[in-house]
Amino acid sequence: MVVFKTMKKTNDIAALAVNSLCKKYGNFTAVDKMDFSVKPGEIFGLLGPNGAGKTSILNVIVTLEKATEGVVKVFGHDVALEPDKSKPLVGFVPQELINHGFFTVQQILKFHSGYYGILENKDRIDYLMKRLDLYEKRDSKVRQLSGGMKRRLLIAKALLHKPKILLLDEPTAGVDIELRETLWDFVRELRDSGTSILLTTHYLEEAEELCDRVGIIDRGVLKKIGPTSELISELTQRNIEFKFVGKAINESKYLIKKENNEYRFRVPNSVSLNQLFSDLGLELSDIKDLKIKEGSLEEAFREVLSHES
Amino acid sequence: MNLSFITLYTALLRREIARFMSVMFQTLVTPLVTSSLYLLIFGVSLGKSIKLSNDLSYLGFIIPGLVMMGVLNNAYQNASSTIISSKFSGDLQDYKVTPLNFKHILAAISTAALLRGVLVGIITFLVGEIFYYFSHGELLAIKHPFLLILFIFIGGISFALLGLSVAFKAKNMDQISAVGSFVLVPLIYLGGVFFSLDQLHPVWQKISQFNPLLYFINGVRYGVYGFADVSLTMALVVSFGSLAFFYGVALFCLKNGSFTRW
Repeated sequence: MVVFKTMKKTNDIAALAVNSLCKKYGNFTAVDKMDFSVKPGEIFGLLGPNGAGKTSILNVIVTLEKATEGVVKVFGHDVALEPDKSKPLVGFVPQELINHGFFTVQQILKFHSGYYGILENKDRIDYLMKRLDLYEKRDSKVRQLSGGMKRRLLIAKALLHKPKILLLDEPTAGVDIELRETLWDFVRELRDSGTSILLTTHYLEEAEELCDRVGIIDRGVLKKIGPTSELISELTQRNIEFKFVGKAINESKYLIKKENNEYRFRVPNSVSLNQLFSDLGLELSDIKDLKIKEGSLEEAFREVLSHES
Repeated sequence: MNLSFITLYTALLRREIARFMSVMFQTLVTPLVTSSLYLLIFGVSLGKSIKLSNDLSYLGFIIPGLVMMGVLNNAYQNASSTIISSKFSGDLQDYKVTPLNFKHILAAISTAALLRGVLVGIITFLVGEIFYYFSHGELLAIKHPFLLILFIFIGGISFALLGLSVAFKAKNMDQISAVGSFVLVPLIYLGGVFFSLDQLHPVWQKISQFNPLLYFINGVRYGVYGFADVSLTMALVVSFGSLAFFYGVALFCLKNGSFTRW
């Protein structure tokens, strides 16, 4: 029983807890009283337009910047007060590509392992180079790599020490579709193996595809947070389009377009298809063709930002 | 994961040594050419017409100074260039994001810079020995090897810390060049590499006594010959004091400097 209680307590600790975080640059407030947490083993997406404050938050977590106010904890360790304990738990993939003028891919990964106290890490380095398609380029210098390879090298660097939480700052910026999908698969694989992931992106398709929960921020303020599917459900409506055999239907407040026998409705997710048909006085047998388009995270995102502006 | 000081220090030192070994030509051949030219022009050609009060030949006089000049210059340049190149490429932030802390960075980069300085110092000394042998028919003997090593160590580490400080605080290349041209070069050339203190006007003698390099260079000269322009005690006190000062400055610059990309 005691063991059970202890385990429960450990699992309760957030992988990342951001409390009342403020980051100011002179008079400009980049992040304002930000509160959110990332649960162990989830992919959390921080979404926002350019300049929303996403990178500033990550920079505070990895101690590249100091918080003006507030506390950030990684698995219970304050990043400002206990960096020795928090840093080994974090892997960081920055947004900007890095060149490393002097060294080869293999050397870079070897040296970087050393910064985490692992002087011999050949097996892990080989595994990551193979998994991220860098093995053939292991003796190449970074300037000889393509943009996508440089991005994968940054991911390999961040995973050398098997971090418990991975921070990805715009991981697929400037990356082609094929590589993007490969990276998405890899991120899911990491999540399934127990790594918590904080992802910043302004590609909403990426967030919808990957994230268990998302937080939407704008001008440094957290506007909305929740499970991705719930936010979509709460903030968007379904587009329902159908043709039916000529028959008069009841009036509906959800009707947005009518053309001959083709009707288009915009229906809240709380209204079921059955209920809509019933309100219109239709039966399934009256329908010739039916198209349903669910709301997307992009629509939810626009909804949040439009309300706030 | 072993986060002990020695492990993280070793990791960064390995990287730094690999960095300067990858520019081997610049590390070893350049000082070989430079020191040969100095010895040929100043030591052999002009030196014949320069008489010193302490019975040393001018060639013999400048060899310890050139050794120390090589150590100081290269320690400074190695420490500053590793930071500057990392600021350009963007990987300086790795030092901040990973468990490395200020002490690991200071210790590893200073050690690597000292090693490069010592390599250059050894090359300069060997070239000096060749010139000395052909000029005097014998090799130059070292009177106090321990003191020689001690002053090279203190001077090398001090200048590495200075290079590190300037590189961390600099906001652009102009600032780096300005420190080199307007501070370091005058200090080095007025530090007694090429002249004895008693050859100066009394006013300049007084002013020179505020130059810490005078004590580093004369400390090395004392290590080689057993005598110098300043007393051993004074050279030791000022050298250790300078080391402590440069360490404090470097720590301050690291804590307040920028790890972000240029």
